[in-house]
Amino acid sequence: MNELKEVIIKRIKANFADAAERNDFKDNRLDIAVKKETIPSILFYLKDEMGFIHLSDIICVDWLEEGELEVVFILWSPVDKIKVFVRTRLDRDNPVMDNVDMIWRQANTYEREMREMFGVQFTGLVAPDEFILEDWQGPPPFRRDFDTAAYAEKTFWQRPGREDAQDVRETIAKRDGEEIPDFAKKYSR
Amino acid sequence: MNILGAVVTFLLAFVVGMTYGGLNRKITARIQNRKGPPFYQNFIDAFKLASKKSAIHHGAMHHLGPAFLMVSSVVTLMIVPVLTHSQWFPNLNFQGDLIFLLYIMTFGPLGMALGAGQTGNPNSAIGVTRGLSQMVGFEIPWVMALVAIMIQYHTTSITGLMAAQAQSGTWLMFSSPFAFIAAILAMLGMFGYSPFDVVIAPAELASGPASENGGKYLFTMMSSGSVFAFVKLTLYVDLFLGGADNIIMLLIKTFALYMIPVLYSNTSVRYRTEQSIRWFWGWPTFFGLLAILQAVIF
Amino acid sequence: MNDKNSQKIVDIIQNWARKHSIWVLAYGTGCGAIEIPPTMTSRYDAERLGVRGAATPRQADVLLISGYLTVKTIKRVIRVYEQMQDPKYVIGFGSCTINGGMYYDSYNTINVLDRYLPVDVYINGCMPRPEAVLSGFAQLQKRIAAGRATGAQHYKENLEWYRANQKKIIPNWVMPDYNW
Repeated sequence: MNELKEVIIKRIKANFADAAERNDFKDNRLDIAVKKETIPSILFYLKDEMGFIHLSDIICVDWLEEGELEVVFILWSPVDKIKVFVRTRLDRDNPVMDNVDMIWRQANTYEREMREMFGVQFTGLVAPDEFILEDWQGPPPFRRDFDTAAYAEKTFWQRPGREDAQDVRETIAKRDGEEIPDFAKKYSR
Repeated sequence: MNILGAVVTFLLAFVVGMTYGGLNRKITARIQNRKGPPFYQNFIDAFKLASKKSAIHHGAMHHLGPAFLMVSSVVTLMIVPVLTHSQWFPNLNFQGDLIFLLYIMTFGPLGMALGAGQTGNPNSAIGVTRGLSQMVGFEIPWVMALVAIMIQYHTTSITGLMAAQAQSGTWLMFSSPFAFIAAILAMLGMFGYSPFDVVIAPAELASGPASENGGKYLFTMMSSGSVFAFVKLTLYVDLFLGGADNIIMLLIKTFALYMIPVLYSNTSVRYRTEQSIRWFWGWPTFFGLLAILQAVIF
Repeated sequence: MNDKNSQKIVDIIQNWARKHSIWVLAYGTGCGAIEIPPTMTSRYDAERLGVRGAATPRQADVLLISGYLTVKTIKRVIRVYEQMQDPKYVIGFGSCTINGGMYYDSYNTINVLDRYLPVDVYINGCMPRPEAVLSGFAQLQKRIAAGRATGAQHYKENLEWYRANQKKIIPNWVMPDYNW
């Protein structure tokens, strides 16, 4: 497996000058980082000539301290049984990338989700605006600087009483005057 | 006397039909290894539906849809003789009433189809087309069986057939068996239980024609369904099992016949519309043809 | 006097019929819907109480809100609730309808159902077991018999308050007015 990975890394580096290899941590995983402009060409190359024909996922990582969003493409080769992670960094204030759903059609759904939840804009993406959240008017909710609890406190009316956080079973037993049986006492706090 | 007899007949049909529906649920539950609702559950359902405070309808035709069903059931009830010799029940029989019966039994679902079409709900429209297509399926063996026994006994009235059975001493079930088998197989389609319940199909189709009816309209549909079930069973008893002399015999014979669709429905899965039509034009039509051959030749 | 007494007798008979024949709309809004099939089938038979599933809102009595409601779902649930015919009841199922449950700090789920729809009976648990569901139905039967299951009337009388709450969380209000 290691020789196969060396061969793949050498071929990728020969064709794309700005591919940097990151630390791999398992037998059948590879990790390369590229700039965002080379993403369509490297994905085409990996799919057509290297045998990584299956797109498993497209995810986004929020590096809040460094001010960047990282988009990761996970590809899988069923013949060699190797997974490759292709990473790019985007600027957090203006995250724009190229659209890749002409390579795999399912990338359309992943890109829609990322546009709604993280705010990443894909140029050339043709899809309806709303995906899961209807009538959403706030900031993209999956970013780390979006405080979910404060937003929920402000928008939805909360029922008072969560602050003291009593044990449900003991409170109900005390209220109704019942006794908790012996075999269940060991689960009390 | 006749009007009182008609009201008594209607009440008997309503009570017996609803009880049979409740017994259907109870027997199905026991087959599925659980206790079911009490046997009078259909009465409670009907009473609850009738006491709903608002009745929402989408226009005049939709409002009249359940009324067409009820009219068809009641007219059929008045034609079919419930007991053979009785002063109480109305005998509106005439020569040729079997053919009239064939027509009036299809009048109800057609009126319901008009009513369901006005709602604009696509589920109603699909349910109605499926129901009418399935009716095309089971009408063929049913009509063949009736034509066979009409040819064999040279009469087109129900009382004429009952008199022929009383005269010869044997039931029509034994003297024209193929007609009986074809009619029983057609009865499975008429009741609308599994496997031919693609019309009602609650989980698949949001219950077809009844999907926009609630409250009092649903009460009317349920009652007319029960009355119609009683009418069909009594018709079969009159034609094939020699009629009934008193209420006890009528109840025993109709219950025995009712067990056929109930028990078959618990052991079968639902057919699609084209599968059910293909089934009806298979063995039941074959038995119908045999019945006509037997009537003509022997 | 005769009118009031006969009205009371009619009410008693009607409530008896309504409590023994409850038709639940077959609509599972959240993850609590997975406890409905075991309750309705052979082992914990709910049909002996008269409870059976209804296919459309026009035929149903009870709307079983089983779990969390997002903003997208609550638009549809309000439409479904207003299509049902009087008298109708709402059962809040699971702890998400009581105080938000485990999604209390989510950006998209509502926390207290009582502000948007009138609830008659709550069943707590996450998810409640079928025995708890059956006891919830028995509680609803007791409330119906006592004449206290008046959620629908409360909704009609306080419609402005409910609508104000609903419009606050639904920015894009596209619902028609239903007549009842």
